[in-house]
Amino acid sequence: MSDDEVLLRVRGLQVHYPGRGGLLRGGGPPVRAVDGVDLDVRRGETLGLVGESGCGKSTLGRAVLRLTEPTAGEVVFDGTDVRALPREPLRLLRRRMQMVFQDPMASLDPRQSVQSLLAEPLVAHGLGPRDSEGGTGAGGPRPSRRAVTGWREARVRELLELVGLPGSAAGRYPHEFSGGQRQRIGIARALAVEPDLVVADEPVSALDVSVQAQVVNLLEDLQERLGLTYVVIAHDLAVVRHISDAVAVMYLGTVVEQGRGDALYTAPLHPYTIALMSAIPVPDPVVEDARQRVLLSGDLPSPAAPPSGCRFHTRCPFRQATRCHDEVPLLREIPLRPGLAGSGLAGAGATGAGSASGHAVACHWAEEVASGQLSPRQVEATAAS
Amino acid sequence: MSAVAPAGAAGPAGPATPSAEPPLLSVQDLSVTFTARRGSGRSEVRAVDGVSFDVRPGRVMALVGESGSGKSVTSLALTGLLPARGNRVEGRALFAGEDLLTVPRARLADLRGRELAMVFQDPMSSLNPVVPVGLQITEVVRRHTGAGRAAAKERAVELLGRVGIPDPRRRVREFPHQLSGGMRQRVMIAIALACDPRLVIADEPTTALDVTIQAQVIDLLSTLVREQGTAMLLITHDLGVVAGVCDDVTVMYAGRVVEQAPRRELFARPRHRYTAGLLASVPRLDGPRPERLTPIPGTPRDVVAWSEACAFAPRCTAGDDACRRGDLVLAPDAGAGAAPGHLVRCVHPAPVEQP
Amino acid sequence: MTAVLPPPAAAGAPSAPGPVDEPGVSLVRGAWRRLRRDPTAIVGAVLVAAFLLVALAAPLLAGYEPGRALPGNGVTPSSVPGPSPEHPLGLDASGVDLLTQLVYGARQSLVIGVVSTSLGLAAGMALGVLAGAFGGWVDVAVMRVVDIMLSIPSLLLAVSIAALLGQSPISVMLAIAAAQVPIFARLLRGSMLAQRGSDYVLAASSLGLRHRTVVMSHVLPNSLGPVIVQATLVLGTAIIEVAALSYLGLGDGNPATAEWGRLLVRAQARLQSDPHLALLPGACIAVTALGFTLLGESLREALDPKGRR
Repeated sequence: MSDDEVLLRVRGLQVHYPGRGGLLRGGGPPVRAVDGVDLDVRRGETLGLVGESGCGKSTLGRAVLRLTEPTAGEVVFDGTDVRALPREPLRLLRRRMQMVFQDPMASLDPRQSVQSLLAEPLVAHGLGPRDSEGGTGAGGPRPSRRAVTGWREARVRELLELVGLPGSAAGRYPHEFSGGQRQRIGIARALAVEPDLVVADEPVSALDVSVQAQVVNLLEDLQERLGLTYVVIAHDLAVVRHISDAVAVMYLGTVVEQGRGDALYTAPLHPYTIALMSAIPVPDPVVEDARQRVLLSGDLPSPAAPPSGCRFHTRCPFRQATRCHDEVPLLREIPLRPGLAGSGLAGAGATGAGSASGHAVACHWAEEVASGQLSPRQVEATAAS
Repeated sequence: MSAVAPAGAAGPAGPATPSAEPPLLSVQDLSVTFTARRGSGRSEVRAVDGVSFDVRPGRVMALVGESGSGKSVTSLALTGLLPARGNRVEGRALFAGEDLLTVPRARLADLRGRELAMVFQDPMSSLNPVVPVGLQITEVVRRHTGAGRAAAKERAVELLGRVGIPDPRRRVREFPHQLSGGMRQRVMIAIALACDPRLVIADEPTTALDVTIQAQVIDLLSTLVREQGTAMLLITHDLGVVAGVCDDVTVMYAGRVVEQAPRRELFARPRHRYTAGLLASVPRLDGPRPERLTPIPGTPRDVVAWSEACAFAPRCTAGDDACRRGDLVLAPDAGAGAAPGHLVRCVHPAPVEQP
Repeated sequence: MTAVLPPPAAAGAPSAPGPVDEPGVSLVRGAWRRLRRDPTAIVGAVLVAAFLLVALAAPLLAGYEPGRALPGNGVTPSSVPGPSPEHPLGLDASGVDLLTQLVYGARQSLVIGVVSTSLGLAAGMALGVLAGAFGGWVDVAVMRVVDIMLSIPSLLLAVSIAALLGQSPISVMLAIAAAQVPIFARLLRGSMLAQRGSDYVLAASSLGLRHRTVVMSHVLPNSLGPVIVQATLVLGTAIIEVAALSYLGLGDGNPATAEWGRLLVRAQARLQSDPHLALLPGACIAVTALGFTLLGESLREALDPKGRR
């Protein structure tokens, strides 16, 4: 993969929060929200980041934009080392990397009208009629105040139309809209500064089921029209499958499996991915009745004290003695072999066509699990508190 | 709980048919109207409008709908948990012959917890944060069965074990905040099961949980229904959950039932345009990946009053002048091959796809 | 774009609230609408409005000059002249028209209350913004100063200030303001910290807004609600405190100033014979404070985002 293709490169990213200890003991062990993640996001593509609550996917999304300060690692956006940037250059770079939030009610200032919400980023980056390209324009005659205001009003209407809202929405306030409409405003706001990368954190999970598809389609349309690159963070694997070109599955601060296209869905390799996919209900009774469900026992361990070796070994139904407990599995690429496909869902018959290149998994026993040499069994419940 | 279980193993084999067994809960023509003072006049909002369904022992009835559909108001009305003022409840809800809507408060309180149990979406706010979970279970046991302190405690330990909480003897002494979300929901279910209720009303019991935990809780609830013959009313917006555990499905939109059918029938032959649209709009984990999703246009707020037209008409691709009538009835599906008990309220039912 | 499809032709029926061409309802306007419907707010507003009216129109209502004893007033050690056509409420213990004293007392209370609360609000907000906007060691330092201020009883503070500056309206205002500073500072800081953790502040920084802009145009305006409510409540308390300071002899040194607290002091000796001398100014204090409190409480409710629908 050439550097040209990759818009965002993340290497060894860590975000640790100071731990909370007892009253007298001071800080406890740090919470390892994100603990060594490598990712590449190609230009114009969508990377889906999935996992359950507490896996660190949202923290990772924020750390990429430096909304949360990473503890260690490297974030390179289009050749720029984001972590090395001082405050002002970082602020200017934000024009190119935007975020869409889960709850549009919480992420829109309730006091501001839509007009002012959408114009605000334009003001912050000094965007005006003369240059919708450059930042605060230096040199040349400054456009009049009225011209700037007029341009911004027109731009707000343009943005509203882009996300499928009438221009008259500009004079209204966030609480007057439905959830789906608010999320459209949130998206318009992120697009106001014409970014290259948009990180969307659970963009549809707060919306009504019948509205989710509208927003998913809108995100896809916008990507096509504006050539956007997405990182979509979600717990809903079906939505992620639909929207993503590549998918990474996270568990307890690390990526346990990643793959391109449908490879990960047709042939999940990591026991966690297998369990996760088998747990997701499918709206089809025929499929549901025939499904083999891999139930996980126990709860997510605390990210302040992650299990040794493979982080998933406390809940893994395929766990093998000592190695899973002692040795940290590295994310390694698995070449496609016959017999590796087909452990996915019933009904998803297609074997991962083409090359499995890019399908990587962090499990010592991935081959054995995939080929059926190891079968899931009951693990004794491991209480985690 | 075994690690590998066919999801529907204990479920009924073959297409579900309406059971001949008499319903344990029979809701008939339930309406809930909220009244509010607005300036000088009064405004009325009919949140639930003439809803009827039956819940039978050993079966799960799903009440499906999105925000504003009235599904949660229905469950609150059934359990007498609506605020005392500002609303009007009409209709009947016969629970083993008694009308839940008219029984005296004391009798209802007696029924709740003993014969009729509830599980809510958010276990954190339903549990008392300063009381150990064990005590919260023994309270219920002692109130409804008159068991002694020691016996009630044994029962609490047993119940926690039954809902799959490891080391129940230690857990009874812990406080809600010491448990994870999935554990707390198990405790809520344990409390609900404390007196072997005949009916469980579960209002979005897994919405706040992660999928792997959700699978555990759903598994637990359906085992309960299959093995104990409990009747369950499951209120949810998740069609996947419905497909997995329910026997019958009631779909609500803007306060009215728009479609009612046995599970397999509903998913194989959705007839109301809303149900069909909903099924078509959700991305699926199985099967081929479509280029684009097919959303339902508009938002759940775009409704007209049922008294004027089909409330779904503003969002319906098949809506026309014929939909603008106030007397749309929930009638048996007239289409070819309809299963008995398939009711639909639609002028232009969706075509049946041939497999 | 398939986004929001126009409703299919058949359903030209009126659509539910959506963006149509009419001005939106802002948070403030929504609060105003709720206030107008709230009986508590109306009672509070009427009381406060009456107080303001009386204070502003004092010279028109009074008819006499405050603090000047009328010659030949007939005040004896055992009684004061009762109501008469010229003096609707009679005379007070020092032989001044009681109505005049009460009316000018309202003016005095208003001036001292508003000025002292404004001073307290300004200083408190400055400290609160400092702590809330910067956080870190600035926050720690500011909050320690505030804690120290909070640990000194307000009356003690007032006594010290009066001792330092002498008895004057200014020292009364300063004393009352000083006691208010920590209240406002803590409230604003807490409110700002809560807002700083919210999603829209994160959203604003992710858009590349300057820190200053984020604080001044998002965090601060959204944090002001509780502070405004508190200011209303404190204004009521300030009026009581003005009276309390006068009562303790720490008030305005000028004996000619009409002031409700001072009227109370002078009425003390005649509590048996002429209780109305104490009751009337007491009622004025209580009713005014009540008005502000009611208004403050209903403001708090109206501004609560949870009440918005």
